[in-house]
Amino acid sequence: MNIIETKDLTYEYVRRDDQGNIEGIVKAVDGVSISVEPGQFVAILGHNGSGKSTLAKHLNAILKPGEGTVWVDGMDTADESNLWDVRQRAGMVFQNPDNQIIGQVVEEDVGFGPENMGVPTKEIWERVEESLRAVGMYMYRKDSPNKLSGGQKQRVSIAGVFAMHPKCIVLDEPTAMLDPSGRKDVICAIRGLNDVEGVTVILITHYMEEIIHADKVFIMDDGKVAMQGTPKEIFSQVEKLQELRLNVPQVTLLAEALKQRGIALPDGIVTKEELAEALGL
Amino acid sequence: MLRDIIIGQYYQTESVIHRLDPRVKLGGTLLYIISLFCFDNFIGYVLAILFLGIVIRLSHVPFKLMVRGMKAILFLLLITAVFNLFLTPGEPLVSVWKLSISKEGLVLAVTMAVRLSLLIIGSSIMTLTTTPNNLTDGMEKMMAPLKVFRIPVHEVAMMMSIALRFIPILLEETDKIMKAQMARGADFESGNIFARAKALVPLLIPLFVSAFRRANDLAMAMESRCYRGGDGRTKMKPLVYARRDAIAYVCLVGYLVVSIVLGNVVLW
Repeated sequence: MNIIETKDLTYEYVRRDDQGNIEGIVKAVDGVSISVEPGQFVAILGHNGSGKSTLAKHLNAILKPGEGTVWVDGMDTADESNLWDVRQRAGMVFQNPDNQIIGQVVEEDVGFGPENMGVPTKEIWERVEESLRAVGMYMYRKDSPNKLSGGQKQRVSIAGVFAMHPKCIVLDEPTAMLDPSGRKDVICAIRGLNDVEGVTVILITHYMEEIIHADKVFIMDDGKVAMQGTPKEIFSQVEKLQELRLNVPQVTLLAEALKQRGIALPDGIVTKEELAEALGL
Repeated sequence: MLRDIIIGQYYQTESVIHRLDPRVKLGGTLLYIISLFCFDNFIGYVLAILFLGIVIRLSHVPFKLMVRGMKAILFLLLITAVFNLFLTPGEPLVSVWKLSISKEGLVLAVTMAVRLSLLIIGSSIMTLTTTPNNLTDGMEKMMAPLKVFRIPVHEVAMMMSIALRFIPILLEETDKIMKAQMARGADFESGNIFARAKALVPLLIPLFVSAFRRANDLAMAMESRCYRGGDGRTKMKPLVYARRDAIAYVCLVGYLVVSIVLGNVVLW
Protein backbone atom coordinates (compact mmCIF):
# COMPACT_ATOMS: atom_id res chain seq x y z
CA MET A 1 0.00 0.00 0.00
CA ASN A 2 1.22 3.49 -0.76
CA ILE A 3 1.93 5.70 2.20
CA ILE A 4 0.80 8.84 0.37
CA GLU A 5 -1.54 8.89 -2.55
CA THR A 6 -3.33 11.79 -4.20
CA LYS A 7 -5.89 11.47 -6.95
CA ASP A 8 -6.87 14.41 -9.17
CA LEU A 9 -6.12 16.80 -6.30
CA THR A 10 -7.23 20.33 -7.07
CA TYR A 11 -7.09 23.35 -4.78
CA GLU A 12 -8.11 26.89 -5.59
CA TYR A 13 -7.22 30.13 -3.86
CA VAL A 14 -9.95 32.70 -4.25
CA ARG A 15 -8.73 36.27 -4.35
CA ARG A 16 -11.17 38.88 -3.14
CA ASP A 17 -11.11 42.68 -3.32
CA ASP A 18 -11.98 45.03 -0.42
CA GLN A 19 -15.71 44.52 -0.78
CA GLY A 20 -15.35 40.75 -0.76
CA ASN A 21 -16.13 40.34 -4.45
CA ILE A 22 -14.28 37.60 -6.21
CA GLU A 23 -11.43 39.07 -8.21
CA GLY A 24 -9.92 35.94 -9.52
CA ILE A 25 -9.40 32.27 -8.84
CA VAL A 26 -5.94 30.77 -8.84
CA LYS A 27 -5.64 27.05 -9.20
CA ALA A 28 -2.65 26.44 -6.97
CA VAL A 29 -2.84 22.69 -7.42
CA ASP A 30 -4.49 21.39 -10.54
CA GLY A 31 -5.35 17.72 -10.96
CA VAL A 32 -2.28 16.28 -9.24
CA SER A 33 -2.03 12.51 -8.86
CA ILE A 34 1.07 11.21 -7.13
CA SER A 35 1.88 8.15 -5.10
CA VAL A 36 4.68 7.51 -2.66
CA GLU A 37 5.74 4.08 -1.46
CA PRO A 38 6.85 3.46 2.13
CA GLY A 39 10.56 4.08 2.72
CA GLN A 40 11.05 6.18 -0.39
CA PHE A 41 12.89 9.48 -0.57
CA VAL A 42 10.74 11.64 -2.79
CA ALA A 43 11.59 15.14 -3.94
CA ILE A 44 9.09 17.65 -5.23
CA LEU A 45 10.72 20.42 -7.17
CA GLY A 46 9.38 23.59 -8.64
CA HIS A 47 9.99 27.31 -8.66
CA ASN A 48 7.98 29.82 -6.63
CA GLY A 49 4.25 29.68 -7.23
CA SER A 50 4.33 26.23 -8.78
CA GLY A 51 1.96 24.89 -6.13
CA LYS A 52 4.44 22.70 -4.31
CA SER A 53 3.82 24.19 -0.86
CA THR A 54 0.06 23.98 -1.31
CA LEU A 55 0.47 20.33 -2.20
CA ALA A 56 2.59 19.82 0.93
CA LYS A 57 -0.07 21.30 3.18
CA HIS A 58 -2.56 18.74 1.84
CA LEU A 59 -0.36 15.86 2.96
CA ASN A 60 -0.67 16.95 6.59
CA ALA A 61 -4.38 17.85 6.41
CA ILE A 62 -3.67 21.54 7.02
CA LEU A 63 -5.58 22.12 3.80
CA LYS A 64 -8.48 19.98 2.63
CA PRO A 65 -8.74 19.08 -1.04
CA GLY A 66 -11.05 21.26 -3.11
CA GLU A 67 -11.55 18.40 -5.52
CA GLY A 68 -10.01 14.96 -5.61
CA THR A 69 -8.75 12.91 -2.68
CA VAL A 70 -5.61 12.57 -0.57
CA TRP A 71 -4.89 9.36 1.31
CA VAL A 72 -2.24 9.23 4.02
CA ASP A 73 -1.48 5.67 5.08
CA GLY A 74 -4.86 4.66 3.68
CA MET A 75 -6.80 7.40 5.51
CA ASP A 76 -8.79 10.02 3.64
CA THR A 77 -7.61 13.45 4.83
CA ALA A 78 -11.01 15.01 4.12
CA ASP A 79 -12.49 12.91 6.94
CA GLU A 80 -12.43 15.02 10.13
CA SER A 81 -12.23 11.95 12.39
CA ASN A 82 -8.87 10.99 10.83
CA LEU A 83 -7.34 14.43 11.38
CA TRP A 84 -5.00 13.71 14.32
CA ASP A 85 -4.00 10.30 13.03
CA VAL A 86 -3.08 11.82 9.68
CA ARG A 87 -1.00 14.51 11.37
CA GLN A 88 0.80 11.94 13.49
CA ARG A 89 1.56 9.65 10.51
CA ALA A 90 2.73 12.45 8.23
CA GLY A 91 4.79 14.98 10.19
CA MET A 92 5.53 18.34 8.69
CA VAL A 93 8.60 20.59 8.84
CA PHE A 94 8.20 24.17 7.66
CA GLN A 95 10.46 26.71 6.06
CA ASN A 96 11.14 29.20 8.86
CA PRO A 97 12.89 27.51 11.80
CA ASP A 98 12.06 30.36 14.20
CA ASN A 99 8.35 30.10 13.64
CA GLN A 100 7.96 26.43 14.42
CA ILE A 101 9.92 26.00 17.63
CA ILE A 102 7.60 26.23 20.61
CA GLY A 103 9.79 25.24 23.53
CA GLN A 104 12.26 27.48 25.32
CA VAL A 105 14.73 24.64 25.64
CA VAL A 106 15.67 22.30 22.78
CA GLU A 107 14.57 19.13 24.56
CA GLU A 108 11.23 20.66 25.56
CA ASP A 109 10.50 21.55 21.97
CA VAL A 110 11.22 18.03 20.79
CA GLY A 111 8.92 16.75 23.53
CA PHE A 112 6.05 18.99 22.41
CA GLY A 113 4.63 16.60 19.81
CA PRO A 114 4.68 13.51 22.04
CA GLU A 115 3.15 15.59 24.87
CA ASN A 116 0.25 16.49 22.59
CA MET A 117 -0.24 12.85 21.69
CA GLY A 118 -0.50 11.86 25.35
CA VAL A 119 2.66 9.74 25.43
CA PRO A 120 3.67 8.77 29.03
CA THR A 121 6.41 10.94 30.57
CA LYS A 122 9.09 8.26 30.64
CA GLU A 123 8.57 7.40 26.98
CA ILE A 124 8.68 11.07 26.00
CA TRP A 125 12.21 11.29 27.41
CA GLU A 126 13.26 8.18 25.50
CA ARG A 127 11.81 9.54 22.28
CA VAL A 128 13.44 12.95 22.78
CA GLU A 129 16.85 11.39 23.30
CA GLU A 130 16.48 9.07 20.32
CA SER A 131 15.29 11.86 18.01
CA LEU A 132 17.95 14.34 19.04
CA ARG A 133 20.63 11.69 18.51
CA ALA A 134 19.20 10.84 15.09
CA VAL A 135 19.71 14.42 13.87
CA GLY A 136 22.98 14.96 15.76
CA MET A 137 21.66 17.60 18.15
CA TYR A 138 21.80 15.66 21.41
CA MET A 139 24.60 17.76 22.89
CA TYR A 140 22.48 20.90 22.51
CA ARG A 141 19.48 19.46 24.36
CA LYS A 142 19.68 21.92 27.29
CA ASP A 143 20.27 25.00 25.14
CA SER A 144 17.87 27.76 24.25
CA PRO A 145 16.76 27.56 20.59
CA ASN A 146 17.56 31.26 20.24
CA LYS A 147 21.26 30.49 20.56
CA LEU A 148 21.34 27.95 17.73
CA SER A 149 22.15 28.58 14.09
CA GLY A 150 19.49 28.24 11.40
CA GLY A 151 20.62 24.78 10.36
CA GLN A 152 20.69 23.61 13.98
CA LYS A 153 17.21 25.00 14.62
CA GLN A 154 15.90 23.25 11.54
CA ARG A 155 17.41 19.96 12.74
CA VAL A 156 15.66 20.47 16.09
CA SER A 157 12.40 20.94 14.19
CA ILE A 158 13.03 17.70 12.32
CA ALA A 159 13.74 15.92 15.62
CA GLY A 160 10.49 17.35 17.00
CA VAL A 161 8.56 15.77 14.17
CA PHE A 162 10.51 12.51 14.31
CA ALA A 163 9.74 12.17 18.04
CA MET A 164 6.09 11.69 17.08
CA HIS A 165 7.16 8.50 15.27
CA PRO A 166 5.64 9.39 11.94
CA LYS A 167 5.71 7.02 8.99
CA CYS A 168 6.41 9.91 6.70
CA ILE A 169 7.98 13.36 7.06
CA VAL A 170 7.02 16.16 4.71
CA LEU A 171 9.56 18.98 4.56
CA ASP A 172 8.38 22.19 2.98
CA GLU A 173 11.52 23.97 1.76
CA PRO A 174 13.42 23.30 5.00
CA THR A 175 16.65 24.74 3.62
CA ALA A 176 15.36 27.87 1.91
CA MET A 177 16.45 30.18 4.74
CA LEU A 178 19.79 28.52 5.53
CA ASP A 179 23.40 29.10 4.57
CA PRO A 180 25.20 26.41 2.52
CA SER A 181 26.72 24.61 5.51
CA GLY A 182 23.43 24.59 7.40
CA ARG A 183 21.74 23.29 4.27
CA LYS A 184 24.20 20.43 4.03
CA ASP A 185 23.69 19.42 7.68
CA VAL A 186 19.92 19.45 7.30
CA ILE A 187 19.95 17.37 4.11
CA CYS A 188 22.37 14.99 5.81
CA ALA A 189 20.00 14.61 8.79
CA ILE A 190 17.04 13.99 6.46
CA ARG A 191 18.93 11.34 4.52
CA GLY A 192 19.96 9.73 7.79
CA LEU A 193 16.34 9.42 8.89
CA ASN A 194 15.46 7.92 5.53
CA ASP A 195 18.37 5.46 5.33
CA VAL A 196 18.79 4.45 8.94
CA GLU A 197 15.31 4.82 10.40
CA GLY A 198 13.40 3.97 7.24
CA VAL A 199 11.12 7.01 7.43
CA THR A 200 9.50 7.99 4.16
CA VAL A 201 10.66 11.49 3.22
CA ILE A 202 8.95 13.98 0.96
CA LEU A 203 11.31 16.88 0.39
CA ILE A 204 9.94 19.99 -1.22
CA THR A 205 12.62 22.28 -2.55
CA HIS A 206 13.78 24.51 -5.32
CA TYR A 207 17.42 23.47 -5.11
CA MET A 208 18.34 21.04 -7.85
CA GLU A 209 21.31 19.56 -6.01
CA GLU A 210 19.06 18.37 -3.17
CA ILE A 211 17.10 16.00 -5.40
CA ILE A 212 20.09 14.06 -6.69
CA HIS A 213 19.79 11.35 -4.03
CA ALA A 214 16.02 10.99 -4.26
CA ASP A 215 14.36 7.75 -5.32
CA LYS A 216 11.71 9.62 -7.22
CA VAL A 217 11.29 13.20 -8.34
CA PHE A 218 8.17 15.14 -9.20
CA ILE A 219 8.60 18.46 -10.95
CA MET A 220 5.71 20.85 -10.56
CA ASP A 221 4.85 23.74 -12.77
CA ASP A 222 1.74 25.89 -12.67
CA GLY A 223 -0.07 23.52 -10.29
CA LYS A 224 0.52 20.45 -12.40
CA VAL A 225 3.07 17.65 -12.32
CA ALA A 226 5.23 18.52 -15.31
CA MET A 227 7.77 15.70 -15.07
CA GLN A 228 8.31 12.65 -12.91
CA GLY A 229 10.85 9.89 -12.64
CA THR A 230 14.18 9.04 -11.09
CA PRO A 231 16.77 11.84 -10.90
CA LYS A 232 18.60 10.21 -13.82
CA GLU A 233 15.50 10.25 -15.98
CA ILE A 234 14.81 13.85 -15.04
CA PHE A 235 18.33 15.11 -15.64
CA SER A 236 18.59 13.43 -19.01
CA GLN A 237 15.99 15.89 -20.30
CA VAL A 238 18.05 19.03 -19.98
CA GLU A 239 16.09 21.02 -22.53
CA LYS A 240 12.76 20.37 -20.89
CA LEU A 241 14.17 21.39 -17.52
CA GLN A 242 15.40 24.64 -18.97
CA GLU A 243 11.99 25.20 -20.54
CA LEU A 244 10.54 24.94 -17.01
CA ARG A 245 13.04 27.59 -15.90
CA LEU A 246 14.86 25.26 -13.54
CA ASN A 247 18.57 25.43 -12.88
CA VAL A 248 20.28 22.32 -14.10
CA PRO A 249 23.45 21.33 -12.16
CA GLN A 250 26.64 22.47 -13.87
CA VAL A 251 27.99 18.93 -14.19
CA THR A 252 24.89 17.86 -16.09
CA LEU A 253 25.20 20.86 -18.39
CA LEU A 254 28.86 20.08 -19.01
CA ALA A 255 28.10 16.44 -19.80
CA GLU A 256 25.39 17.55 -22.19
CA ALA A 257 27.74 19.95 -23.95
CA LEU A 258 30.41 17.24 -24.24
CA LYS A 259 27.89 14.87 -25.75
CA GLN A 260 26.98 17.39 -28.39
CA ARG A 261 30.67 17.63 -29.31
CA GLY A 262 30.63 13.93 -29.99
CA ILE A 263 31.96 12.46 -26.76
CA ALA A 264 30.08 9.31 -25.85
CA LEU A 265 28.54 9.74 -22.40
CA PRO A 266 25.54 8.12 -20.72
CA ASP A 267 22.37 10.15 -20.07
CA GLY A 268 21.55 11.78 -16.74
CA ILE A 269 24.93 12.51 -15.19
CA VAL A 270 24.34 14.43 -11.97
CA THR A 271 27.49 14.24 -9.86
CA LYS A 272 31.12 15.12 -10.49
CA GLU A 273 32.15 11.57 -9.58
CA GLU A 274 29.87 10.07 -12.22
CA LEU A 275 31.25 12.33 -14.91
CA ALA A 276 34.82 11.59 -13.93
CA GLU A 277 34.10 7.89 -14.09
CA ALA A 278 32.32 8.14 -17.43
CA LEU A 279 35.27 10.02 -18.86
CA GLY A 280 37.62 7.37 -17.52
CA LEU A 281 39.54 9.77 -15.29
CA MET B 1 23.77 41.09 22.25
CA LEU B 2 20.01 41.04 22.21
CA ARG B 3 20.01 37.27 21.85
CA ASP B 4 21.43 36.75 25.30
CA ILE B 5 18.79 38.78 27.05
CA ILE B 6 17.42 37.22 30.23
CA ILE B 7 13.67 37.37 30.53
CA GLY B 8 12.38 38.06 33.99
CA GLN B 9 15.05 38.35 36.62
CA TYR B 10 15.94 34.74 37.25
CA TYR B 11 19.27 34.39 39.07
CA GLN B 12 21.02 31.13 38.20
CA THR B 13 22.55 29.38 41.19
CA GLU B 14 22.17 26.21 43.23
CA SER B 15 20.05 26.40 46.38
CA VAL B 16 17.23 24.74 48.28
CA ILE B 17 14.90 27.56 47.34
CA HIS B 18 15.72 27.14 43.64
CA ARG B 19 14.90 23.45 43.82
CA LEU B 20 11.53 23.94 45.51
CA ASP B 21 8.42 23.22 43.49
CA PRO B 22 7.15 26.44 41.87
CA ARG B 23 3.77 25.84 43.50
CA VAL B 24 5.38 26.05 46.93
CA LYS B 25 7.04 29.32 46.02
CA LEU B 26 3.85 30.80 44.57
CA GLY B 27 1.80 29.70 47.57
CA GLY B 28 4.53 30.75 49.97
CA THR B 29 4.73 34.23 48.50
CA LEU B 30 0.98 34.60 48.80
CA LEU B 31 1.02 33.40 52.43
CA TYR B 32 3.87 35.73 53.26
CA ILE B 33 2.04 38.71 51.78
CA ILE B 34 -1.09 37.80 53.77
CA SER B 35 0.98 37.47 56.93
CA LEU B 36 2.36 40.98 56.42
CA PHE B 37 -1.09 42.41 56.92
CA CYS B 38 -2.15 40.16 59.77
CA PHE B 39 0.10 41.36 62.58
CA ASP B 40 -0.33 44.44 64.61
CA ASN B 41 2.72 44.85 66.84
CA PHE B 42 6.47 44.99 67.00
CA ILE B 43 7.01 41.21 67.31
CA GLY B 44 5.21 40.70 64.01
CA TYR B 45 7.76 42.90 62.22
CA VAL B 46 10.68 41.17 63.83
CA LEU B 47 9.28 37.78 62.82
CA ALA B 48 8.59 38.88 59.24
CA ILE B 49 12.09 40.31 58.81
CA LEU B 50 13.68 37.29 60.44
CA PHE B 51 11.77 34.87 58.22
CA LEU B 52 12.64 36.80 55.08
CA GLY B 53 16.28 36.97 56.15
CA ILE B 54 16.48 33.21 56.55
CA VAL B 55 14.89 32.63 53.14
CA ILE B 56 17.29 35.08 51.50
CA ARG B 57 20.25 33.30 53.12
CA LEU B 58 18.96 29.94 51.89
CA SER B 59 18.40 31.21 48.36
CA HIS B 60 22.07 32.19 47.78
CA VAL B 61 20.87 35.21 45.81
CA PRO B 62 22.88 38.40 46.49
CA PHE B 63 20.84 40.80 48.58
CA LYS B 64 21.73 43.76 46.36
CA LEU B 65 19.77 42.20 43.49
CA MET B 66 16.64 42.40 45.61
CA VAL B 67 17.35 45.97 46.58
CA ARG B 68 17.74 46.78 42.91
CA GLY B 69 14.19 45.56 42.42
CA MET B 70 13.11 48.09 45.03
CA LYS B 71 14.29 51.05 42.95
CA ALA B 72 11.36 50.68 40.58
CA ILE B 73 8.84 51.23 43.33
CA LEU B 74 10.81 53.78 45.33
CA PHE B 75 8.58 56.58 44.06
CA LEU B 76 5.41 54.72 45.02
CA LEU B 77 6.90 54.03 48.42
CA LEU B 78 7.72 57.70 48.89
CA ILE B 79 4.25 58.90 47.94
CA THR B 80 2.63 56.39 50.29
CA ALA B 81 4.87 57.50 53.12
CA VAL B 82 4.31 61.22 52.51
CA PHE B 83 0.54 60.89 52.29
CA ASN B 84 0.40 58.83 55.45
CA LEU B 85 2.73 61.24 57.17
CA PHE B 86 0.73 64.38 56.53
CA LEU B 87 -2.83 63.21 56.14
CA THR B 88 -3.32 61.03 59.18
CA PRO B 89 -5.30 62.86 61.83
CA GLY B 90 -4.10 62.62 65.41
CA GLU B 91 -1.91 64.19 68.02
CA PRO B 92 0.28 66.78 66.19
CA LEU B 93 4.04 66.55 66.60
CA VAL B 94 5.31 69.24 64.24
CA SER B 95 3.21 71.83 62.53
CA VAL B 96 4.36 73.91 59.57
CA TRP B 97 1.87 76.26 57.96
CA LYS B 98 -1.25 74.19 57.18
CA LEU B 99 0.54 70.85 57.24
CA SER B 100 1.07 68.95 60.41
CA ILE B 101 2.71 65.68 61.19
CA SER B 102 0.88 63.62 63.74
CA LYS B 103 2.35 60.92 65.92
CA GLU B 104 -0.04 58.38 64.41
CA GLY B 105 0.91 59.56 60.96
CA LEU B 106 4.59 59.03 61.62
CA VAL B 107 4.02 55.51 62.94
CA LEU B 108 1.73 54.65 60.01
CA ALA B 109 4.17 56.03 57.42
CA VAL B 110 7.09 54.05 58.78
CA THR B 111 5.19 50.79 59.24
CA MET B 112 3.58 51.07 55.81
CA ALA B 113 6.95 51.64 54.16
CA VAL B 114 8.43 48.63 55.98
CA ARG B 115 5.48 46.42 55.04
CA LEU B 116 5.65 47.43 51.38
CA SER B 117 9.40 46.85 51.23
CA LEU B 118 9.03 43.41 52.76
CA LEU B 119 6.27 42.64 50.27
CA ILE B 120 8.40 43.61 47.29
CA ILE B 121 11.50 41.77 48.49
CA GLY B 122 9.40 38.73 49.39
CA SER B 123 7.91 38.43 45.94
CA SER B 124 11.19 39.17 44.20
CA ILE B 125 12.66 36.09 45.88
CA MET B 126 10.11 34.04 43.96
CA THR B 127 11.00 35.55 40.58
CA LEU B 128 14.72 35.46 41.30
CA THR B 129 14.75 31.76 42.12
CA THR B 130 12.24 30.38 39.61
CA THR B 131 12.63 30.22 35.83
CA PRO B 132 9.73 31.86 33.97
CA ASN B 133 8.95 28.51 32.42
CA ASN B 134 8.70 26.83 35.80
CA LEU B 135 6.58 29.67 37.08
CA THR B 136 4.12 29.28 34.21
CA ASP B 137 3.93 25.54 34.86
CA GLY B 138 3.29 26.16 38.53
CA MET B 139 0.56 28.68 37.79
CA GLU B 140 -1.12 26.33 35.35
CA LYS B 141 -1.19 23.56 37.92
CA MET B 142 -2.37 25.81 40.76
CA MET B 143 -5.09 27.47 38.73
CA ALA B 144 -6.36 24.15 37.39
CA PRO B 145 -9.45 24.18 39.66
CA LEU B 146 -10.55 27.37 37.88
CA LYS B 147 -11.33 25.27 34.82
CA VAL B 148 -14.66 24.56 36.50
CA PHE B 149 -15.54 28.21 35.88
CA ARG B 150 -14.54 27.81 32.22
CA ILE B 151 -11.38 29.83 32.65
CA PRO B 152 -8.94 28.60 29.96
CA VAL B 153 -6.06 27.96 32.36
CA HIS B 154 -3.99 25.79 30.04
CA GLU B 155 -4.37 28.19 27.14
CA VAL B 156 -3.30 31.17 29.24
CA ALA B 157 -0.22 29.28 30.46
CA MET B 158 0.62 28.24 26.89
CA MET B 159 0.25 31.84 25.72
CA MET B 160 2.58 33.03 28.46
CA SER B 161 5.28 30.55 27.59
CA ILE B 162 5.01 31.29 23.86
CA ALA B 163 5.26 35.00 24.63
CA LEU B 164 8.42 34.33 26.63
CA ARG B 165 9.87 32.34 23.74
CA PHE B 166 9.16 35.08 21.22
CA ILE B 167 10.29 38.14 23.20
CA PRO B 168 13.97 37.76 22.17
CA ILE B 169 13.00 37.04 18.56
CA LEU B 170 10.79 40.11 18.33
CA LEU B 171 13.40 42.24 20.06
CA GLU B 172 15.95 41.23 17.50
CA GLU B 173 13.46 41.97 14.76
CA THR B 174 12.76 45.41 16.21
CA ASP B 175 16.46 46.08 16.13
CA LYS B 176 16.66 45.01 12.48
CA ILE B 177 13.69 47.12 11.38
CA MET B 178 15.03 50.08 13.31
CA LYS B 179 18.37 49.84 11.55
CA ALA B 180 16.68 49.43 8.19
CA GLN B 181 14.57 52.53 8.77
CA MET B 182 17.55 54.48 10.07
CA ALA B 183 19.49 53.54 6.96
CA ARG B 184 16.73 55.20 5.00
CA GLY B 185 16.90 58.35 7.06
CA ALA B 186 14.41 57.72 9.85
CA ASP B 187 15.14 59.65 13.02
CA PHE B 188 14.12 58.02 16.28
CA GLU B 189 16.11 60.17 18.66
CA SER B 190 15.50 63.87 18.16
CA GLY B 191 12.43 66.03 18.67
CA ASN B 192 9.98 66.29 21.52
CA ILE B 193 8.02 63.39 22.90
CA PHE B 194 5.26 63.68 20.27
CA ALA B 195 7.70 63.76 17.38
CA ARG B 196 9.46 60.73 18.79
CA ALA B 197 6.21 58.84 19.31
CA LYS B 198 5.27 59.59 15.73
CA ALA B 199 8.65 58.36 14.53
CA LEU B 200 7.86 54.99 16.06
CA VAL B 201 4.97 54.36 13.66
CA PRO B 202 7.17 53.13 10.79
CA LEU B 203 8.81 50.83 13.33
CA LEU B 204 5.65 49.43 14.87
CA ILE B 205 3.71 48.70 11.68
CA PRO B 206 6.25 46.31 10.13
CA LEU B 207 6.77 44.77 13.57
CA PHE B 208 3.06 44.05 13.95
CA VAL B 209 2.76 42.68 10.44
CA SER B 210 5.66 40.35 11.07
CA ALA B 211 4.34 39.31 14.50
CA PHE B 212 1.00 38.34 12.98
CA ARG B 213 2.72 36.39 10.24
CA ARG B 214 4.81 34.58 12.82
CA ALA B 215 1.73 33.83 14.91
CA ASN B 216 0.04 32.34 11.86
CA ASP B 217 3.05 30.16 11.05
CA LEU B 218 3.42 29.04 14.64
CA ALA B 219 -0.25 28.11 14.93
CA MET B 220 0.08 26.00 11.81
CA ALA B 221 3.24 24.32 13.10
CA MET B 222 1.57 23.59 16.45
CA GLU B 223 -1.49 22.09 14.80
CA SER B 224 0.60 19.96 12.51
CA ARG B 225 2.26 18.59 15.65
CA CYS B 226 -1.13 17.49 16.95
CA TYR B 227 -1.65 20.33 19.42
CA ARG B 228 -5.31 20.40 20.45
CA GLY B 229 -5.46 22.15 23.79
CA GLY B 230 -4.71 20.86 27.25
CA ASP B 231 -7.03 17.83 27.34
CA GLY B 232 -5.33 14.48 27.02
CA ARG B 233 -1.91 16.10 27.04
CA THR B 234 0.92 14.54 29.03
CA LYS B 235 3.87 16.43 30.45
CA MET B 236 7.50 15.91 29.69
CA LYS B 237 8.48 17.53 32.98
CA PRO B 238 5.52 17.03 35.30
CA LEU B 239 5.54 18.86 38.62
CA VAL B 240 5.94 16.35 41.42
CA TYR B 241 6.14 17.32 45.08
CA ALA B 242 9.25 16.13 46.87
CA ARG B 243 9.94 15.81 50.61
CA ARG B 244 11.51 19.26 50.78
CA ASP B 245 8.27 20.76 49.42
CA ALA B 246 6.28 19.26 52.27
CA ILE B 247 8.82 20.58 54.75
CA ALA B 248 8.60 24.01 53.15
CA TYR B 249 4.82 24.00 53.43
CA VAL B 250 5.03 23.09 57.12
CA CYS B 251 7.52 25.91 57.74
CA LEU B 252 5.32 28.40 55.91
CA VAL B 253 2.14 27.50 57.76
CA GLY B 254 4.08 27.43 61.02
CA TYR B 255 5.39 30.92 60.34
CA LEU B 256 1.91 32.19 59.43
CA VAL B 257 0.35 30.83 62.64
CA VAL B 258 3.13 32.13 64.90
CA SER B 259 3.03 35.49 63.17
CA ILE B 260 -0.73 35.84 63.59
CA VAL B 261 -0.75 34.66 67.20
CA LEU B 262 2.26 36.61 68.48
CA GLY B 263 1.62 39.53 66.17
CA ASN B 264 -1.71 40.23 67.78
CA VAL B 265 -0.76 39.87 71.44
CA VAL B 266 -1.32 43.12 73.26
CA LEU B 267 2.05 43.86 74.81
CA TRP B 268 1.57 47.08 76.59
